[in-house]
Amino acid sequence: MAENYRHLYVVIEHIDGEFLQVSLEMIGEARRLLDDFNSKYSSNEKVVAVILGYNIKDMSKQLIEYGADVVIYSDHPELKDIRNTIYTKVISQIAQDKKTLDEIEPLYAGEIKRPRYMFFAADSIGRHLSSTVLTELESGLASDINQLVIEDIEMSHQQKTGGSKEIYAKTLEMYRPDFSGFLWTTILCLDNRNPAFKRDYHPQACSIIPGVFEPLKQDPKREGKIIEFIPKIDERDLRVKILSRKVIQSEVDFETPRTIVSFGRGVKDEPEQNIKLLEQLAKELNAEIGITLPISKKPFLVSQALDLKYMIPDRVIGTSGHKTSAMLYIAAGVSGAMQHVWGMKDSGFVVAINPDENAPIKDECDIFIKGRMEDVIPMLIEEIRKQIHIIEA
Amino acid sequence: MVFNIKSINSELILLIIMGELNVAVIIKLEPDFSEGNVSYNPDGTLNRVETKNTLGPHSAIAAHAAFYAKVMYDAKVSIGTMGPPMADLALQQAQQISDAEELHLYSDRLFAGADTLGTAEVLKTGIEKMQGKMDIVFSGHRASDGETGQTGPQTGWKLGFTFLGNVISYNVDLKTRMIRAKRLISLQGVPDVIEEVEAPLPVFISIDPTYKSSFDTVSQRLSFQKYQKEATGRAENYKEYFKVFDAQQLGVDKTLVGLPGSPTIVYKVEKVPKSTATRQAEIVDGSNHEQIKKVVARMKEALSAMVIK
Repeated sequence: MAENYRHLYVVIEHIDGEFLQVSLEMIGEARRLLDDFNSKYSSNEKVVAVILGYNIKDMSKQLIEYGADVVIYSDHPELKDIRNTIYTKVISQIAQDKKTLDEIEPLYAGEIKRPRYMFFAADSIGRHLSSTVLTELESGLASDINQLVIEDIEMSHQQKTGGSKEIYAKTLEMYRPDFSGFLWTTILCLDNRNPAFKRDYHPQACSIIPGVFEPLKQDPKREGKIIEFIPKIDERDLRVKILSRKVIQSEVDFETPRTIVSFGRGVKDEPEQNIKLLEQLAKELNAEIGITLPISKKPFLVSQALDLKYMIPDRVIGTSGHKTSAMLYIAAGVSGAMQHVWGMKDSGFVVAINPDENAPIKDECDIFIKGRMEDVIPMLIEEIRKQIHIIEA
Repeated sequence: MVFNIKSINSELILLIIMGELNVAVIIKLEPDFSEGNVSYNPDGTLNRVETKNTLGPHSAIAAHAAFYAKVMYDAKVSIGTMGPPMADLALQQAQQISDAEELHLYSDRLFAGADTLGTAEVLKTGIEKMQGKMDIVFSGHRASDGETGQTGPQTGWKLGFTFLGNVISYNVDLKTRMIRAKRLISLQGVPDVIEEVEAPLPVFISIDPTYKSSFDTVSQRLSFQKYQKEATGRAENYKEYFKVFDAQQLGVDKTLVGLPGSPTIVYKVEKVPKSTATRQAEIVDGSNHEQIKKVVARMKEALSAMVIK
């Protein structure tokens, strides 16, 4: 049976001539997945990097050096800034362009309609772009993925297969951690084979959390094909005008301080008082204060001053926020959901304060202080005053 | 036709010249994550049976953004949601915030199990059924339970509206029918950027979590108070504004909604496997002052050891 879908397209993001790290990470993961895929299925499908912009032709070669087999680029003044509408249109054109697909693999000329898989970054650009592109392509999307596996899946599904048993070959299993961090959901994008409403859903697409996958080392010897795509630009898709761009400095600084004190839902018994305790502890250590994602959703009532200062997305340590490699990391009342652990695991020395010895954070720290922060922190502060401020002074 | 200008009240002239503004908000009923309402299972996962439901916090911010249009431009506000019959609670809460005059609930067993694409199809069809042609449609940043953030942009694209994401403030010029908006762009590894954009209406806005309305003049604050009072009155009698639509009443294509209209399925849900311990924790009794003393000594060592390196 001829297949109408081949290859893995990776939508590249770049700013001021530099790739965003996540783009190289996506290519690295795409390369690993397709190498396994090609050997398992004795196939020769390609990692295809898609890059849009203005004066970007020279960047294409670098994408090959980072692991892409093919680069499709669109170079046009109207693509200089990222604007959702025109970017959505051009990426969708590329994904359905027969000529480009034929050029990638002349052997299959005329047979291939669309990519089999598609990757975007799960960030301020890629999240929305993936949503609109996949709406334009009328296919499925899973967001915030942190593990990918390709497998043949046998299943019978009331809706998808009409109850009969079917094999979905080469299916991308897309794993995403849920909001709690304790559950992992696998999303599949599957064609409807149910005779009542048959429909193909390709590409199988996802957005990928930055920082999860490793990029490959740049290798100037790597070779590949570079294809230019001339976009069809409709005036109506250029209605958004960018008036200005201003870089803002965050008030929260996780880079400079050597110590970070973070807290999670464990402050809940006395949130106001506990956050003030943590504030004191941070002050003694000259530390910045971080939080877990649930805290940014403001689960407790505290005074407005503390609420506005601490229970904000900008302070989140984890996949939805910052990653730190502080010398000393103190996690108070943090259970240790995987999203948070991702953000702090590169720290030097980790101290956790938690009454529950079964909390997953226990496996991620060097010292686990079993106890309530209400009791532990005052003692810590007392000791720090005796021992540590001397070297800080 | 010739108007006798003197006989027409000047505000009316303004309205004739500029036209009215129609805004809609799409919202979601979500688990209430606030302390006392949320319940977790012993393994840390959400206990959905015990946990109460409420208007999602990001939906609430979107409703505030719509209320800004009400105060500033005398906009007409409509709200739509897809969900079970009890989602009327979320509509009422959002009406209290936004002073909406029209509340839509899209509810049908056929819609159940939809992914974001199947949901967007329902919402798009519903928005097109609202009174008046929409100029701005708002959605929240993302739902607190699903957390995909896809439904907003997908609905916007289906409507054919210009999509503006992560909007932190906006203003409309009613005369030129243009909107100016500021967007917050956060990318890993580079500083945050605020981008100011301009676009003709209609637009679809997904509102940033940091959005805050500000009313600077006395007359704006007076309108704010007036409409807030009106909103309270309306929300008390929300049923007067409330309408339920099933699949047939909406006139949706049944193969584009619910499970048939959903490319993706949840294949499995598992507990995140315990990662192999990356560190070997020493367990310390938190009530033992002597031990805490040693912990601080270790902390000091960690801080100074690294400095030397």
